[in-house]
Amino acid sequence: MSVNLDKSEGEGRVQESLEITLRPIELSDVDDFMVWAADDKVTRFCLWDTYTSKEQALNYIKNCAIPHPWLRVICIENCAIGAISVTPGSGFDRCRGELGYVLSYNYWGKGIVTRAVQMVASTIFKEWPYLERLQAIVATDNNGSQRVLEKAGFQLEGLLRKYRVIKGKTKDEVMFSLLSTDNFLV
Amino acid sequence: MDPSRITLRKFRPTDADDLFSWAGDDQVTRYLRWKTLESKQEALTFIEEVCMPHPWRRSICIDDCSVGFISVFSGSGEDRCRADIGYAVAVEFWGQGIASKAVEMAIPQVFQDFPELVRLQAYVDVENKASHRVLEKAGFSKEGLLRKYFYLKGRIKDLVVYSILSKDESI
Repeated sequence: MSVNLDKSEGEGRVQESLEITLRPIELSDVDDFMVWAADDKVTRFCLWDTYTSKEQALNYIKNCAIPHPWLRVICIENCAIGAISVTPGSGFDRCRGELGYVLSYNYWGKGIVTRAVQMVASTIFKEWPYLERLQAIVATDNNGSQRVLEKAGFQLEGLLRKYRVIKGKTKDEVMFSLLSTDNFLV
Repeated sequence: MDPSRITLRKFRPTDADDLFSWAGDDQVTRYLRWKTLESKQEALTFIEEVCMPHPWRRSICIDDCSVGFISVFSGSGEDRCRADIGYAVAVEFWGQGIASKAVEMAIPQVFQDFPELVRLQAYVDVENKASHRVLEKAGFSKEGLLRKYFYLKGRIKDLVVYSILSKDESI
């Protein structure tokens, strides 16, 4: 899947095509993982804390990321530059999946995550037939992430005040959702 | 109704008959996860095994007789600033502002009992307009409509989310 650098996003850059792929994470991705996971600029809006050691990263990849029900790394030329995941609900919540994503700082503003979200949306409802709702909860001051979801066709459902504690502060967050029955670009 | 007749307290085994009269009614349990109770024995078991050990559940009482309930479930970790409230009242007491009064009474108690709580929220079925009014009268703000959010009694539901913040509370 190609992503074109848009002039409006890329601040006057020459147009390039970036082919992105999604694949399962491997232990050998650990150094690439540290590029985003050890960067405060990236982890600022994440629920998890900045990684401080390769050992910590290996532990996460082995015990959380690899067994995760649906987690992929976002790759350019097979090198991981970020990750995207869908966490399913269980029991009464099985119609619902929670979308999450993270991207290395140097690749921000190029439409990469938007494309990755579109790729996920086009397959996850088929892979999980009981899934009816894909949702994402984003801090109100995380403008980049809100634009990703808007561009990917998600609907803004509401502002949830003081919804969660992120990095020690209670944050206002916005709820977005995409239903299996919504029209979205593939 | 004279509001001083409405009180909140913990459930007691002696509430079993009263509990059965409203929790044995499909109209009351329609929007709850509760299974409609089928006997006084079931009601007693429910009180002893669920209501009394619950972290925060109160009987809504009129003249100290149980006519309904309010429950609060709090989150942990990144969700520790947040709790969910649920409630129901016997049909014969609908439309008299009793649930609103009970929820209003519960709010300051809840913020006191959960010191890390900043946000008290409720998810209400989009069809359950009477419950929307209960929350609006009690000072909750409507924040949005969550489409196909979860299953309740075999049906997928659109829910409205309401919240009140500890700072919304006027002392």
